[in-house]
Amino acid sequence: MVILRRAGQYALVLWAAVTLNFALPHLAPGDPVGYLYVGELQGLGEKYLAELRAGYGLDRPILEQYLSFWSGLLRGDLGMSVQYNRPVLDVLGEKLSWTVALVGISMVLAFVIGTLLGAWAAWRRGTAKETGTVVGVLVVDSMPAFWVGMILIAVFSVTLGWFPSYGAATITATGGQWLAEVASRMVLPVATLTIASIGGFFLMTRASMIGVLDEPFIRLARAKGLGEFRVAIRHALRNAVLPVYTTLTLTVGVLLSGAVVVESVFAYPGLGKLTYDAVTARDYPLLQGAFLLATVGIVAANLLADLTYPLLDPRVRRDRTAAEGRTEVAV
Amino acid sequence: MNVNRLTIVGTRTRSQRLALVGAVLLGALLLCAISAPWLAPFDPTERVTRPFAAPSAEHWLGADDVGHDLLSMLIHGARISLFVGIVAAVIATAVGTIVGVVAGYARGVVDTVLMRIVDVVLALPVLPLTIVIGVFAGPGLRTQIMVISAVLWAGLARELRAQVLTLRERDHIQAERAMGAGPGYVLWRHIAPSVVPLVVPQFVLTIKTAVLLEASLAFLGLGDISAASWGSMLSMAHARSAFLTDAWIWWVIPPGVAIAVTVLAFALLGNAIEERSHPILLPAKRSRKKAATAPAPVDPDVDAGAPLVIDDLTVVYGQDGRGATGVGFTVGAGELVALVGESGSGKSTVAAATMGLLPPAAQIVSGAVRVDGRDVAGMSPAELRGLRGNRIALIPQEALSALDPVYTIGSQIDEAVLAHRSCTRAQARERTLELLADVGLEADRVDAYPHQLSGGMRQRVVIAMALANEPDVLVADEPTSGLDVLREAEVLALLDELRVRRSLALLIVTHNLPVVERIADRIAVMKDGELVEIGTAEQVVGSPTHPYTRKLVESAPRLRPSLQEVFS
Repeated sequence: MVILRRAGQYALVLWAAVTLNFALPHLAPGDPVGYLYVGELQGLGEKYLAELRAGYGLDRPILEQYLSFWSGLLRGDLGMSVQYNRPVLDVLGEKLSWTVALVGISMVLAFVIGTLLGAWAAWRRGTAKETGTVVGVLVVDSMPAFWVGMILIAVFSVTLGWFPSYGAATITATGGQWLAEVASRMVLPVATLTIASIGGFFLMTRASMIGVLDEPFIRLARAKGLGEFRVAIRHALRNAVLPVYTTLTLTVGVLLSGAVVVESVFAYPGLGKLTYDAVTARDYPLLQGAFLLATVGIVAANLLADLTYPLLDPRVRRDRTAAEGRTEVAV
Repeated sequence: MNVNRLTIVGTRTRSQRLALVGAVLLGALLLCAISAPWLAPFDPTERVTRPFAAPSAEHWLGADDVGHDLLSMLIHGARISLFVGIVAAVIATAVGTIVGVVAGYARGVVDTVLMRIVDVVLALPVLPLTIVIGVFAGPGLRTQIMVISAVLWAGLARELRAQVLTLRERDHIQAERAMGAGPGYVLWRHIAPSVVPLVVPQFVLTIKTAVLLEASLAFLGLGDISAASWGSMLSMAHARSAFLTDAWIWWVIPPGVAIAVTVLAFALLGNAIEERSHPILLPAKRSRKKAATAPAPVDPDVDAGAPLVIDDLTVVYGQDGRGATGVGFTVGAGELVALVGESGSGKSTVAAATMGLLPPAAQIVSGAVRVDGRDVAGMSPAELRGLRGNRIALIPQEALSALDPVYTIGSQIDEAVLAHRSCTRAQARERTLELLADVGLEADRVDAYPHQLSGGMRQRVVIAMALANEPDVLVADEPTSGLDVLREAEVLALLDELRVRRSLALLIVTHNLPVVERIADRIAVMKDGELVEIGTAEQVVGSPTHPYTRKLVESAPRLRPSLQEVFS
């Protein structure tokens, strides 16, 4: 039941993203065909424009256009990139792996650091150290991600010369050299994105952990004679992480948004940089494709979280013993 | 409970202090933005010096690549950043509030439809969404405001809907609706006054997000070219390679710091207001009852060698909130003492003190708790850990919330065994199975999770856990709350049997006199932190001396079946 509701929800999100993509060129000021040929329509006669519109089916009824938009989409046709003069899907596909690597690594790092720090803050609540940490995290959280990246470049690339400031790899390097190259070029973007997304994990975990620490099972864990560290990690943090894991929607969205600006700053050849360049070049079909792909990414990440959540929380596992237990609950 | 209240008092003054910092910063920023034309030394759009000029007496922050005065650009940038942030937040808050209140109040189909829309908006990637709309709409201030408010209203709507849903079900509002009050009247008269305090912090926090989002959009080139915000300044610095010279120090750092300070100020202020308007986050007022003046009764059967000795114990919460005053009694081996009192009487404080589990704010100011002759208050944390769950064990109330929901009951009992014994996991599991049998649970329950068991079974699990290391003293805190009469009788019979068989010193803490009067050897009654009566069960129930005890005895319903009747 829950699974079905979730699936319906995700289908609705994808439908909304696709429909928005379809609607934007029609709603925006100007000729929809203009969004297919940026700046190349000046001085063309109305007759030629009408031919172009007919060529793209833009003179047909809106519903028919909508349906053909969908059928194209389902065949993997996201239109042609104006800038690259190639299918949008191909262009996006080339860049996808860099963004997945960047976002994936940053997410794991931010999750680990953010939740541990948040748990520690909840545990030490009210102390001067904790106040300092909370304010520190709020300060970091207030800085725009792209600015953090710019400062890191200025300090670690320009001044200290430790890491390269742009790109993901060099074409000439191979094998181990290539890996080392990729790793060193990933350090600063990953650091930036991690710094920019720690705040969310920290605040969520802290709030959740403060709630959990008031739970009777924490008191009982202490009454059993368990050490404080064991109580904090095995009982309090283990339960405090659950709601953090379920709000992955927000987290993935934040990281994807962060990736757009961070990749732009570091000229990192992923989807974010592609989006940035597409804004500059007004490559509308490419932007629409990137938006759709980002939405698919969020939905996929949430699907993954939904499917793996029962591993973390036995209460939602749908097994035989659970069904059996439910009938036995007295009172 | 008490920990929670008191630590929040501490946090609250802290967040208020931080809010003051935020308010002062914001005041300065707003003043700066309003008076920008007079404050800025130069026109930010005029070339007033040579490109990349370093800071000087005339140009404090130097100049950009074409010779604009950077300080003037920074001051004027405040206007744009704050304007976009505030206007977008106003729109987002208005839309979010209307949608949230309507959905929460109307419920049904309207609610479902609105909330699906909200869910969809929240699931879309914020920046890619704003970019794709922004590009089609064309860059500029109006576009920025539109796309920012278009993505920020949804979170607010969801938050407010939840609040309105709970408000709507409040008794007095339901009563008014039942008497025929129209939705308009109820919304205006009751919902609006309660919603406004919730909207204000959300509004402030929305400005914060809007300012950050504006910076990102401007950085990506979707800002207004003629009116440069801080984000646009950074965009230009990035595009024109400010890093090639030292220019980045005065070109890149100041706008970023300005954004961070603005966002931080709104965040501090918003968090503080949110804490104030959330009733649950507010410290509850502790009732300060005047201590009775009559001398406390002294336990006539004082046995200094008993496993549990509570000796003239006085516990104080915080500055002057009394937890317990001069409480003294003993529980001998194989004896069952019931500690009876209403909530707030101090009985839970006494129970917590025996376990060394008093909250940090509580302090033992005089007297002692001795378990097996050793004073609990004087123990180091390590000694205390060695004692708890070993020589003295706790049976908590509401076993469902007292068991960790994510582990099997077996592993939780194993954990209690392993905390005090050096043995292998397999040996611990063997002991666990023994314990389950002792409390009448089948061995195959060992891999069940707490939620898979019934209330009576869970209570048996926590009893088994308490027995894990064969303690001398058991403290049972309302051990039968939440159970039906039959389960209650079963659990009490089990406890009674165990204390006899293992000659345990058993202290049952309860507000429910009839539950314990048949099995307790002695009954101690507490009121307002003091022991008002102690004696054998027959004495206390049969001929109570204190008026409060009399009241307790008289008010108790005597319709429960006795244990004998249940099991005959």
